Amino acid sequence: MPDHHYEPERAIAGTGMGGTMDLGVDEAETLEKRPEGPDGTGPQERPRSLWSDAWRDLRRNPVFIVSALIILFLVFISLWPSAIASGSPLACDLSKAQQGSRSGHPFGFDGQGCDVYTRTVYGARTSVAVGVLATLGVAVLGSVLGALAGFFGGFWDSVLSRITDVFFAIPVVLGGLVLLSVITSNTIWPVIGFIVLLGWPQISRIARGAVITAKQNDYVQAARALGASNSRLVLRHIAPNAVAPVIVVATIALGTYIALEATLSYLGVGLKPPSVSWGIDISAASPYIRNAPHALLWPSGALAITVLAFIMLGDAVRDALDPKLR
Amino acid sequence: MLLEVRDLHVEFHTRDGVAQAVNGVSYGVEAGETLAVLGESGSGKSVTAQAVMGILDMPPGRITGGEVVFRGRDLLRLKEDERRRIRGAEMAMIFQDALSSLNPVLSVGDQLGEMFTVHRGMSRKDARAKAVELMDRVRIPAARERVRQYPHQFSGGMRQRIMIAMALALEPALIIADEPTTALDVTVQAQVMELLAELQREYRMGLILITHDLGVVADVADRIAVMYAGRIVESAPVHDIYKAPAHPYTRGLLDSIPRLDQKGRELYAIKGLPPNLMHIPPGCAFHPRCPLARDVCRTHEPPLYEVSGTRGSACHFWTECLNG
Amino acid sequence: MGRYVVRRLLQMIPVFVGATLLIFLMVNVMGDPIAGLCGERQCDPATAARLEREFGLDEPVWQQYLTYMGNVFTGDFGTAFNGQEVTELMSTAFPVTIRLTLIAILFEIVIGVALGVVTGLRRGRPVDTGVLLITLVVISVPTFVTGLLLQLLLGVKWGWIRPSVSSEATFDELVLPGLVLASVSLAYVTRLTRTSIAENRRSDYVRTAVAKGLPRHRVVVRHLLRNSLIPVVTFIGADIGFLMGGAIVTERIFNIHGVGYQLYQGILRQNTQTVVGFVTVLVLVFLVANLVVDLLYAVLDPRIRYA
Repeated sequence: MPDHHYEPERAIAGTGMGGTMDLGVDEAETLEKRPEGPDGTGPQERPRSLWSDAWRDLRRNPVFIVSALIILFLVFISLWPSAIASGSPLACDLSKAQQGSRSGHPFGFDGQGCDVYTRTVYGARTSVAVGVLATLGVAVLGSVLGALAGFFGGFWDSVLSRITDVFFAIPVVLGGLVLLSVITSNTIWPVIGFIVLLGWPQISRIARGAVITAKQNDYVQAARALGASNSRLVLRHIAPNAVAPVIVVATIALGTYIALEATLSYLGVGLKPPSVSWGIDISAASPYIRNAPHALLWPSGALAITVLAFIMLGDAVRDALDPKLR
Repeated sequence: MLLEVRDLHVEFHTRDGVAQAVNGVSYGVEAGETLAVLGESGSGKSVTAQAVMGILDMPPGRITGGEVVFRGRDLLRLKEDERRRIRGAEMAMIFQDALSSLNPVLSVGDQLGEMFTVHRGMSRKDARAKAVELMDRVRIPAARERVRQYPHQFSGGMRQRIMIAMALALEPALIIADEPTTALDVTVQAQVMELLAELQREYRMGLILITHDLGVVADVADRIAVMYAGRIVESAPVHDIYKAPAHPYTRGLLDSIPRLDQKGRELYAIKGLPPNLMHIPPGCAFHPRCPLARDVCRTHEPPLYEVSGTRGSACHFWTECLNG
Repeated sequence: MGRYVVRRLLQMIPVFVGATLLIFLMVNVMGDPIAGLCGERQCDPATAARLEREFGLDEPVWQQYLTYMGNVFTGDFGTAFNGQEVTELMSTAFPVTIRLTLIAILFEIVIGVALGVVTGLRRGRPVDTGVLLITLVVISVPTFVTGLLLQLLLGVKWGWIRPSVSSEATFDELVLPGLVLASVSLAYVTRLTRTSIAENRRSDYVRTAVAKGLPRHRVVVRHLLRNSLIPVVTFIGADIGFLMGGAIVTERIFNIHGVGYQLYQGILRQNTQTVVGFVTVLVLVFLVANLVVDLLYAVLDPRIRYA
C-alpha cells in the first residue's frame, strides 16, 4: 500500500468544508535555523518542554492573538447575548420585513421582519455550542477508539480501520440529509450526535497513528521491558505524545463542524425554526437575495469569521506544537 | 589559471541574524590540477563552491564581494543566462548524496541525456545513446539495459558513478566535487575516488575536491587549501602540509587522524567547537581553540603570511608551528 | 501490480457493503418509506399494508438489503415511488453532475496548480501572502455561503450570468457553479502545490538540475513540478468522489437538476429506492476513484512498488 492518505484531512472536506491540511502560514521553512549556510551546523538547542515552547511561540503569533480574541468574543456573546443585543431574536414584525438598517437596528430586518442584528448575535450561541460539544464528543470517542486500536493492534485494529473506511466513503452532507431528515426533535443534540457519528474516524486515525509512533519510541519500549502495566504505559508515556496532534486537528475540525451545522441548517435538516442559527437565517434570506441582501450578508459574514477564527487558531497551534505535523 | 577566486565574501541572512559564511576566500586551480579544500562543516568550503558554480540559494545567501574569474571572465558579473550556459558545460559539480541529488522520478538515461539535449541540442535518441556511452565510461555494467532504470534501483556506488558521468558529460574544464565519497561505504569510496582521479587525468580537467577527509586528500590532491570560519588558513602543496603544517588548525586536523603506528595512544582532538558564524571571534577566528594563542591573536586578524613561494599560512606564529 | 489491484478490489467489498448497508439502514429504519407514498395525505391501513407487500417492506431489513443489492448488480435500481425507474433518473442526473464535477476539477488543476506554483516559488513575497490569505478565507467560508454570495454579485448585482441554471445545464451555464463547487478544493490544491513546490525547491535534485545548467523553465517544469505534483494529483483524484457527493449544496443554490437535486428530492419525499440507489453509485465512484489514485501514484512515482 502506498502510504499516502489524504482522507484524514478530508473527512469533512467532502462537504465542501475545510479539513486540516496545511493551513499554515508555514514560513518556518524560510526561517529554518541554517545560520552557516548549507554545510553549517546549527546552534546548540536548549531542551525545552513542548508546551512551554509552544506557548512562547503562540504569544508572539499575531494570527493566534487575533483568532483567540475573536473566539473569546464569540464565547462571551454566546453566554450573554443580551449584553450586546437588547431585543429578542424571535420578536419579529412582518410590517418591517426586508427593511434596511436604521437607528437601533444596524443590520436591518429580514424577510420575516426580525431584527438581523439580534438574530446574528444570538446565532453565535448555536454555532459555538454545536462546535464545542461536537468537537468534545468527536475528540473523546475518536481518541479512545483510535488509541485502543493503535495500542492493541491486530484484529481490533483491522476492524476499526475498515469501519473508518466505511464512514469515509459516505459523503458527509448526504449522510446528514438522510439521517437528520427523519428526526423531528428541534434541539442541537441530533446535529451534534450526527457530527460525532461521522466525525470520530478522522480523530481516531490520528490518535491511532500517534499511538503507534509513540509505542515504537525507545523509552516506551524500555518502560515495557521494565514491566510497566498497559494502563500505565498508555497514560504516562503514550498519551502525552498523542495529545498534541489530536488537539490540533480537533481545533481546526471545530471550525468545520460549525460550517457543517450551518450547511445542514441551510439544507433544512439541521436546526429548524424557531431555533436561531446562522444557517437557518442564510437559508431564509436567500429567496430575498435581490431585495434584502443585508439579511444574507450579516449572518454569512458572522459565520465566515467564526469558522475562520477557529481554523486560524488550530493552524497557529499546529505551527507552535510541531512544525513537522505539516 | 583556469579558475581564480579572489577575496570572496558570502553571507546568509536568517531570522537570527547574519551569518558570515565566507570571509575573503582566495584560491586558484590550474587545468589538470587537483585542489583539495579541507575544513569542518561550517567552514564555508561548500558555500564557496556553490558561489563559484552559481547555485547558491539567494536569498538567504548573498555574495557581498570578490571575484570568480573563470577562463578570464568574472562569473559574478555575467548575466544569469550566460552563467547557465557555463554550468554543466564548462564547469560541473558532483554532490555528496547521489540518491537525493538525482531526480527520483526520471530515469538515469533521461537525466544524463538532458545534458546533451539542452546544451548541445541533440535529439532524444542521440542523447540516449550518449547516456549509454557515458555509463559505460564510468564502468556501470549492463549500461544499455540500466539506462532506463531510476536512481533508487542503483547501489550507492553506482549512483555516484552516474553523478560523475553526468558531470563529465560535456567534458567540462573544471569539476567541483563536494564530498563525493562521504556517503559511500569505505570499500566503494576508494573505487569511486580512483575513477574520478583517472578521468580527471584523462580529460586534463581542473578538480576542486571538497572534503573533510585527509586520507582521501593525500592520494589525489596536488594542493590543499584549509578553511576555517570562512577563511583560508593554510594553502600549500600537499606534500608540504603532510610533512609540516604551518597552521595550528591544520596540525590539529592531521593529529586527529588515527594512525596505526600510534596504536594505543589517546587520539588527539581539537578542543572546543567550531565558531558560530553569527559571532565570529575577533582577531584570529581560531584563537579560542588554539594551543599557540596569545594576546595578539585576540585582537589582530592574521593575513595569509607567505611561508614560501607556493605556500601561505594565516597564523601569526606560523614559524613556531612549522618547527613543531 | 495485478495482485495489488485484486487485493484492493477485495478490500473494497466490505467498505462498499458497510457504506451501502449503513445508508440502507438509515433510510429504512429511521424513516417510514410508506409515508412518502401517499403524498401529503395519511395512508389508510389497507393501502399501507398492500404497498408494504408490494415493495417487500414486510420482510426483515437484511433480506430487503440483499434483495436490493442483488437487483442492483443486475442493473435494476428499482422504481422510484412515483413510478419512474431510478436508472432513468440517474441517466438524466449523472451527466449533469459529471459535467459540473469536470468543470470543478478543471478549475482545481488550472487555477489551483498555477497559483500554487507561483506562490511556492515566491514564498514570503506579497503575492504569496495575499494568495495564502485568500485560500484561508475560501476554506473558511462554507460553500453555500460562497455560492450565494457569488450568485448575488455576479448574477444579481452585475448581471454577468444567469443566477440559475436551465434544465439542459450546458457547460457554459455550469462555469460559476463549477467554480463554487471547486472553491474549497481549489484552495487546498493551491496550498498543497505551494507547500510541495516550496519543499522541493530546496531539494538536492533541483540544485543538481540548476548545476547542470538547465534553463529555469525546464528546472521548474520538468524537475520541480514533476515531483511536486505527485501529492496534488492524488489529492485531485480523491476529490472526484468528494465533489460528486458534495455537489448537493451547489446544485441546490443554482437549481441544477443533477445528482444532488435528485437525492435532495428523494430524501424530502422519503423515496428509499432513489436515495439508496444514488448513494450506492456515489460510494462506488468514491471507492473506484481512490483505487485509481493509488494506482496513479505508482505511475507517477517509480519508487512505489506494489507487492
